[in-house]
Amino acid sequence: MVSTRARSKHPLAEIIETLESGGALLPDSEENVLEVVGVLKSYAVVLDAYSNNLNYIAEHQFLVLFPFFKYFNGDVSAKKLFQHWWHDRFNYEFAEYCMKAMFWHGGGGLDAYLDTPEFVALAQAAIGAKLKGNLLMQGLSKAFPEFLIEQVRLLAYYSGLGQFWRVMSDIFTELSDRYDAGEISSIPEVVALVKEGLVKSASLPITYAVNIDGQSYDILPKSAGLTFLMDTAVPYVEAVFFKSFPFMGTVSYNAQARAIPSEPERFSYGVLYADPLPVGGAGIPPTLLMQDLRHHVPEYLHQFYRRSLRGEEDLRVMICVSFQKSMFCVTTAAILGLAPHSMDTEDPQEQKANRKYLEGWMDKLTDSRIAYVQVCEM
Amino acid sequence: MLSALIWIPIFCAAVIGLLPASVSSSRLRSLAIASISIVFAWSLYIATQFDVIDIGLQFQEDIPWLDSLGLTYRLGIDGLSLPLVILNNLLTIVALWCSDTSIQRPRLYYLLILIINSAVAGAFLAHNLLLFFLFYELELIPLYLLIGIWGGTRRGYAATKFLIYTAISGILILMSFLGLVWLSGSNTFEYNPLMSQGLPLTAQIILLGGILIGFGIKIPLFPFHTWLPDAHVEASTPISVLLAGVLLKLGTYGLIRFGLELFPQAWSVLAPWLAGWAVVSVLFGAFTAIAQTDMKKMVAYSSIGHMGFILLAVAAATPISLLGTVFQMVSHGLISGLLFVLVGVVYKTTGTRDINILQGLMTPERGLPIIGSLMVAGVMASAGIPGMTGFISEFLIFRGSFEVFPVQTLLSMVGTGLTAVYFLLLVNKVFFGRLPDALANLPRVSWSERLPGFGLALIIVILGLQPNWMVRWIETTTTAVINDFTTVAAHLPNPKTIDLPLTPAVSENPLPVRLN
Repeated sequence: MVSTRARSKHPLAEIIETLESGGALLPDSEENVLEVVGVLKSYAVVLDAYSNNLNYIAEHQFLVLFPFFKYFNGDVSAKKLFQHWWHDRFNYEFAEYCMKAMFWHGGGGLDAYLDTPEFVALAQAAIGAKLKGNLLMQGLSKAFPEFLIEQVRLLAYYSGLGQFWRVMSDIFTELSDRYDAGEISSIPEVVALVKEGLVKSASLPITYAVNIDGQSYDILPKSAGLTFLMDTAVPYVEAVFFKSFPFMGTVSYNAQARAIPSEPERFSYGVLYADPLPVGGAGIPPTLLMQDLRHHVPEYLHQFYRRSLRGEEDLRVMICVSFQKSMFCVTTAAILGLAPHSMDTEDPQEQKANRKYLEGWMDKLTDSRIAYVQVCEM
Repeated sequence: MLSALIWIPIFCAAVIGLLPASVSSSRLRSLAIASISIVFAWSLYIATQFDVIDIGLQFQEDIPWLDSLGLTYRLGIDGLSLPLVILNNLLTIVALWCSDTSIQRPRLYYLLILIINSAVAGAFLAHNLLLFFLFYELELIPLYLLIGIWGGTRRGYAATKFLIYTAISGILILMSFLGLVWLSGSNTFEYNPLMSQGLPLTAQIILLGGILIGFGIKIPLFPFHTWLPDAHVEASTPISVLLAGVLLKLGTYGLIRFGLELFPQAWSVLAPWLAGWAVVSVLFGAFTAIAQTDMKKMVAYSSIGHMGFILLAVAAATPISLLGTVFQMVSHGLISGLLFVLVGVVYKTTGTRDINILQGLMTPERGLPIIGSLMVAGVMASAGIPGMTGFISEFLIFRGSFEVFPVQTLLSMVGTGLTAVYFLLLVNKVFFGRLPDALANLPRVSWSERLPGFGLALIIVILGLQPNWMVRWIETTTTAVINDFTTVAAHLPNPKTIDLPLTPAVSENPLPVRLN
């Protein structure tokens, strides 16, 4: 089909045209499919673990003042302790890092709901039940009434991200299974599957309740109307894919010296922008994720990495590059899923609206690593 | 016993030269490494048999050669030469290990390196002035060829400059030797510390001047240093390791053996001037190193500065300072060897040594983190951080020299501080920060390439923590040298050296210095 649309004047016009013609932010190639599906297969395993832990913390470590064993998922034994010290474990800290990015940047219905009086009332009820008989904490809570409420907000984000990743983990597992079965062979097919999964779960309710002394206390009730796509997925993409935080030690947190933007809204340090080269260094958060992913990378992808210039030496950077590519696919799915009209619409007005919508996304992606993934370098 | 140290490499060089051209470069390298390893093991065996409290020459060999010329094949080893002989073999193994197996004309290459090893060992062991001179000259041509054939783009210029400078150095040394023998009325070139004692002081000073300038070129000291940076920049990594680690030590060794020991009276007269010369050399080397953008040139100028410490310590001529000189020779050999090996790996993988281009090489997965870490260890050692050999040698030198030349010593200590300045600049620029995209796809560094760096760093730390393992071989000899020197120098009034206490003979009393 020959496009009848006028050429965009946007610097990323080519990408816009690719999206309009059914393509993705990531070019379609056999290698890219292998990398994206392989890394997402590993990511599915890691997300499953992260999700379980986030949900565990939200439900079972509710207002535990010193949550020493929050990464143990309730299984505190000498063996588990030694495994933890030996670092034979998932880096759950990375899940919390992402959760805090969401919490900090906010956005979406979850963030808005956490500032409502309804939420405060529900949180107070749960806090009251939790502090029953604990005079010290009751006194402290009275002296600093906002403190525990803020902790409950944080726990709500634990739960929200845990529920979001539960869905994503299942989508990526299905993607990998279908790739293994030979049903997926191109990047647009990957995007379509992720988009389908997102759309299918779009209205999935996001709820959160804790059990204290045998009684259930709602924190995020169903009546709040929070849903998967708009209240967790979109804020997650905004916070983790786009904004996030600069890596400590690589940029000075000095807005006055313009080392970082003065407005957090203008932050652009997310997955789509992050530099993969420092990965592997201490204090660089993605190192934790890549370390987890490397344990679950499928053999076909591992072999692909072994053939690279550095072989096994730069595995974590290679995984990060593949991961970044996969996140461009997920972003494509989110962009297409949220588009005002279907991309293959013939209606000029709808095409115009889509063009404006895509140009808005491309404005955000101009300084991202989209140029790097186009040429398949690194 | 000592001849094996000289003739095994020569024999292996001959074998390599006679092998057919079809033998692969890697096999030739293995053969060369095996032969020097045997020599290295032999030198370690000699060390175990070495009597550490004997002040004289040990394992002497004396074979008449050309009696009419006064040339005899007389070898011997003492605490001054033993560490240097071991260092020579160790660094030759490192140099051979670092050699590229894809080089052109490999037989000639390995043959020349083996000849250099033999010649240097011969120079350290020779106890006949003419024999020393022959060995001293023997290493010139192989080194000239190694720079001239396998060097960088300006190798011809650098090799010729090296040859001219060091040939002049040889001529001056030969003239001084001839003058000493003729004026003393001796009919032999036999090494004899009492040779110059009958000579007028002016004659001694003139002869010592020739020795000083001759060895000053080799060391090198300002202003005779200009050949060294060019030679280092154009030489390949293994040759730089040999040049900085071993060949420069011929100069400092000569300074003690043929300057201080042969001309004690003249030395005591010139000592304050030599200390001043040392300060100039130290500060010049350090300040010039700060201005460099080529990593190799920076290390080369650093060598000039660090060699200045040795001149200061020899000028002071106290038991501690002289002990420090030998320690510094070994220490500098190890540290500069390490630094050149690492710079070589950086150059091989990145294609540049320019500190304004290189950046972020410490990046964990795509950079050169292990090489970077070893480089940090190397520059720490060079800057005299405690726990490494550089600290021990510099501490001994400054501690020993301060009582004689306090001002010069303090000024030289500024040089140590400046070492930290230029090497931190280097490490900061080259290894920290973000790895540029142009360097994001560096080839893999093999463990074989890292091994020499690890080996040298390990020795630097071990000797830094346990210096007595080396000091025990050296101190008897250096104390005996100082005994002789102070005894003779005391006959000549000199405001600086006359006040020195005459240190008792080592066999009778404990030494004033103990490191642990």
